[in-house]
Amino acid sequence: MNRTMTGPIVLSITMLFLLGPFAIIAAAGFSAGETLAFPPEGLSFRWFGAVFREESFRGAFAISFFLAAGATVLALLLGVPAAYALDRYRPRGTEWIRILIATPFIVPGILVGLALLQYLVIPTDLGVLPALFIAHTALLVPYAMRVVSASLANLRVDIEEAAMMLGASRLGAFRMIVLPNIRNGILAASILGFITSFNQVPVSLFLSGPGTGTLPIAMLWYMENNYDPSIAVLSTLLALLSFAVIMTAERLLKLSRYV
Amino acid sequence: MIGDRARTYALLAPAMGFIAIGFLLPVAWFLARSLSVKGGVGFDHYAEFFSSPLNREVFWRTLRIGLEVTLTCAAIGYAVALAIAEGGQAARGRWLGLIVLPLMISPVARTYAWIVILGRTGPINNLIVGLGLSSGPLRLLFSETAIFIGLVQLFLPMMVISLVSALENLPRDVVPAARILGAGPVGAFFKVILPLTREGLLVGGTLVFTGSLTAYITPAILGGSKVLMLETLLYQRVSVADDLVSASVIGVILTGMSFATNALLRRVARGRSAAR
Repeated sequence: MNRTMTGPIVLSITMLFLLGPFAIIAAAGFSAGETLAFPPEGLSFRWFGAVFREESFRGAFAISFFLAAGATVLALLLGVPAAYALDRYRPRGTEWIRILIATPFIVPGILVGLALLQYLVIPTDLGVLPALFIAHTALLVPYAMRVVSASLANLRVDIEEAAMMLGASRLGAFRMIVLPNIRNGILAASILGFITSFNQVPVSLFLSGPGTGTLPIAMLWYMENNYDPSIAVLSTLLALLSFAVIMTAERLLKLSRYV
Repeated sequence: MIGDRARTYALLAPAMGFIAIGFLLPVAWFLARSLSVKGGVGFDHYAEFFSSPLNREVFWRTLRIGLEVTLTCAAIGYAVALAIAEGGQAARGRWLGLIVLPLMISPVARTYAWIVILGRTGPINNLIVGLGLSSGPLRLLFSETAIFIGLVQLFLPMMVISLVSALENLPRDVVPAARILGAGPVGAFFKVILPLTREGLLVGGTLVFTGSLTAYITPAILGGSKVLMLETLLYQRVSVADDLVSASVIGVILTGMSFATNALLRRVARGRSAAR
């Protein structure tokens, strides 16, 4: 077989498999018909309007957006100092802490949500929003620590020590030397954190209450009872939004290095 | 020195405390529940769980789908990674960017696309009926095949990323050298490429396998309430029957399998770096 042709053919088929489905839901979203179909029955923006008018989607979008933003900020405030302490002082038990912060990647999210519901939310009578906020922050701290640790590992300690010898305080050295140098890591962690929280389903599943849930949960609930193109429209809009964010981020800081 | 130590703990404590309260303690407490029986500790709940034929079926299905998805992703992953490695540096970055892209898009959106494609009025059924292969639309959704397709699409990028970086570390001349020495393309793959990229395959395989075991959205949307995997069974047990004991047994099984796979990976990786 011709070697120079096999490569491009394999890549094209794979990309068709990975990205083609988005083209199909995008087309299905423009349908003028009542039910989900491809090819769509006629073309219209009818379901785009319907999605923006749907009360449950609007509320859920707001919850998802502020939840993702809040959890990302708090996770960085907690995670950056922790990653710094681990990298610079290597306290006893560093190995254990590294294993501990890998666990959220291993433990199924649905279990985390259920356990939090049973042992945190019900006993303390916590509301849906604070519960989601705690769960998402706890999920994102390890992400933040990982990405920031990777940036810290590339930063030489002696620059910081030199700054302190020249009279900078420890905090000053952190602010003037460390922070500017790990800025890209922090930016990457913010974007990955925001996306992770915004797309998160299993952890939020048991924590969402009737009428108060994140956008992906609202979509799951809606699709259980409806078979119209609304979810196709929302999926398309979310894909475009992620696409825009990733393209910008990729241009700015080569995000794929951190995944 | 004391100052450093106090500072270290002060910097670490808030993050660790948050993980402990918002994740670790509730999960540990909930999993421990599966072992508590009247008057002590025992495996009664596990015996009870596995005595049900439905539960056994779901357990084996979850393992089977996990393995099938992992092997399929490995096979496609090698083809794709080798194709990417063949192109130049600039093309490599662009292809990787395209392959990473779907990972950032909501899994609900990614999975929902298959409802459209495999649905009764979707393109696949239109094609089958149009070609006269079947008199009416086939039931493609809510099956093991649908879950399998959805999971492969979801996790293939992770395998490709791991294999591309493993191939990057492959010395340039080993494959041509093997070919000159008489190996065919298949022989060169199994004797040279596969052993030298084993670590990348293991990392990718672990990500795909544990990801498939613990995926919730794909079996929920594409399997429906009939074709359950352990995750969807857990959800159903709790939401339908308020059966927290079964839920904690399933939780231990899933977490255990996931940890075991990761521990195995760590061990193999350590063995290799020690041998070097």
